Amino acid sequence: MDRQTFIIFHILAIVVVIGSMLTGLRIAMVSQDWLSPVSVLLPQGQMHVWHLGFGVAITLIIACYLLHSFTSPFRSIQSKYHKIINYLGYTSLPLISISGWLIWSDMLTDTARTVHQIAIWMMGCYLVLHSWIYIIQNGRRVLSVLLPKRVSFRHYGIATGILVASLSSVFLIKNTTHQLKVLTIDNTTFIEIDGKGDEKAWNEATPISIMTIGGANFHQGSTEVTVKALANKYESYFLISWQDATKSTNHLPLLKTNTGWKVKENGFYNFDERTFYEDKFAVMLSEGCDIAGDKTLHLGDKPIKNKPKNWHGKGYHASLDGKTRDLWHWKAVRTNDMYLADDNFIGPPAAHLSGKRRYTAGYQPDGKESGAYVMNWQWYTPNGVIPKRLPAQLSQIQSAHNSVLPWFGSAPYDASQDHYPNGTLLSSVLYRSNRFEGDRADVRARGEWKNGRWTLELVRKHNTQSQYDVALKTGTCMWVSAFDHSQIAHTRHIQAIKLRYSL
Amino acid sequence: MIKRLTWSVIILVLLIAICLIPRDKPQIKHHQRYTKIAQSGEVLLPWQGPWACVLDNQNEVLWEVKTDNESIHDGYWTYSWFDGQHGKSNFGDCYFEPNRCDTQDLIRRTNKQGLCGLSNWRLPSATELNSLVQAPNSPSQPFIANDYFIHIKRGDYWSSEHGIKLPSQYRSHGMGATAVNFHFGKRYILPYRNAAFVMLVADIPTTNKHPQLSRRATIKQH
Repeated sequence: MDRQTFIIFHILAIVVVIGSMLTGLRIAMVSQDWLSPVSVLLPQGQMHVWHLGFGVAITLIIACYLLHSFTSPFRSIQSKYHKIINYLGYTSLPLISISGWLIWSDMLTDTARTVHQIAIWMMGCYLVLHSWIYIIQNGRRVLSVLLPKRVSFRHYGIATGILVASLSSVFLIKNTTHQLKVLTIDNTTFIEIDGKGDEKAWNEATPISIMTIGGANFHQGSTEVTVKALANKYESYFLISWQDATKSTNHLPLLKTNTGWKVKENGFYNFDERTFYEDKFAVMLSEGCDIAGDKTLHLGDKPIKNKPKNWHGKGYHASLDGKTRDLWHWKAVRTNDMYLADDNFIGPPAAHLSGKRRYTAGYQPDGKESGAYVMNWQWYTPNGVIPKRLPAQLSQIQSAHNSVLPWFGSAPYDASQDHYPNGTLLSSVLYRSNRFEGDRADVRARGEWKNGRWTLELVRKHNTQSQYDVALKTGTCMWVSAFDHSQIAHTRHIQAIKLRYSL
Repeated sequence: MIKRLTWSVIILVLLIAICLIPRDKPQIKHHQRYTKIAQSGEVLLPWQGPWACVLDNQNEVLWEVKTDNESIHDGYWTYSWFDGQHGKSNFGDCYFEPNRCDTQDLIRRTNKQGLCGLSNWRLPSATELNSLVQAPNSPSQPFIANDYFIHIKRGDYWSSEHGIKLPSQYRSHGMGATAVNFHFGKRYILPYRNAAFVMLVADIPTTNKHPQLSRRATIKQH
């Protein structure tokens, strides 16, 4: 390989590695708070497809470079220091590439993610020790070595070829999916939505297991989710289970203190509670199957133009293409006793309401006719709250902070009746009625926790005719996320699960 | 070499400084028309609460804010239209009257309470009430700014406009009053006996058009 060809590869590698690192750090920041100081230096928005593109390009550059090197290796004169340092680059670049592809293909995902992160920091060290030392040693002369002196058609061909091949590959693989076969059952087969999954039909359904990563509180932030699906003529049933060592129902309890009631929290003020929160599970459905949530994930503290910043700096869910994505959000305290999952959707970013501190962009609940859970405080502040209601009987209070406080088993707060001793815990969730009514109640669900594992059964009509729901049919894509007592820090996976019905 | 090292250190320090500069938190945006007012009459910032009234800069009135605390302002209570002379008394549903409820009951109780420091509460005119109608931000929300007007139901709300001939389907009831429906964002003429919701309004005394507005800048977020 001649020097000019090497320089072309070198320039391409610099651009692609830096692009990959910037987009990768933004993605990593969703689950790694300690990176937040560098947020200001990073791009915002839909990062996954860019990261995939850079990943493809890195792989192609490595492959082309190796191919050239085998036929005519490039000989250069380097100091001993740079020769040694180059081994860091030779090691980290393939590691980044291989672990990245393993994450993309959901193979050994949790291990690959760790390797990917270590390799990225190795690459970071390499960039500093390699390029910075060259700059210190040679100053501006580095540019004369770095930039090509004469560019031939072959060089343009290499650069263009890698660019075109990268774009084509991204276009081809960004819709790659796992397949979930939906077993057809007779209309008379009864499936009880009880979170047990002990009906015979479930034994016959083919499961799919996906390692989901990047969540808070799970062991190494990951949990494997197993999904089975059944369908009769009218409805689709899903049996989902995932590992979670602890059953968490201690949802933002109210604690009586010397100065009054306070919400026990660790991040709730920034809408990113990670300790005093219920377990949850989310299922997203979309007609599109693009990786990482079908273009609904916008990372950064202000990723959407003309929309407000978010409090946690992680990002927003919204669909900028105008299409609705369906989102089922099962909550271990707030909806489990309703035998429902909260039927939500991801749509275009909503208008910002000046009276509301939290802005959720495109993530919104479907409409409801009536019924709701409400929080048991008149107004939340981190310094203290006044409960909305107190239990009708003192004996109810100690055992009830882990569950819902019924509206009609409680009375409006009256300071003269608030004789509860300091240290008393009170439930933060009130049911105004025992379930939603209307569009928001389309998904029946029940979860049961046993021996370190949640089992969740869900059922919904194939087509609800709601503009905020996505029809369940062959080709519909699904993503799943588990929350271990966290408000937004959920696990995730890259490739969608595509439903295959035989009806 | 020394010069390059110095520049490297300067660039590194600058990058670290940029990273360590505290980031702006999301900023409060004041509503062009509405301001939250506490029970005491104190002006609140948009992200503060709880609030008992909303100052409407367009109509220069205060609006009663509904609650879910079973007080006289609970958003679930309904009222028949009655002004002491016209209408139908005690045909709505509430817990705070020994008999059933009408609009006069809520006005009397609210004035006695001195909600937000005022005691001139009344039913809004149809124009005032209708001016609150705006398209909702989310599915199935009422046609109103629900970040300020909370606990508003998707139903009929009485205005003071009365003595109007009812449409044909209600003709047997004679006259009725205008209500604004926040489910559809439209006006209807309803029989006085109908149980509808109520959101009271109070004119701001001319001597105090913007209660305690000068304190606005001194109030903390929480």
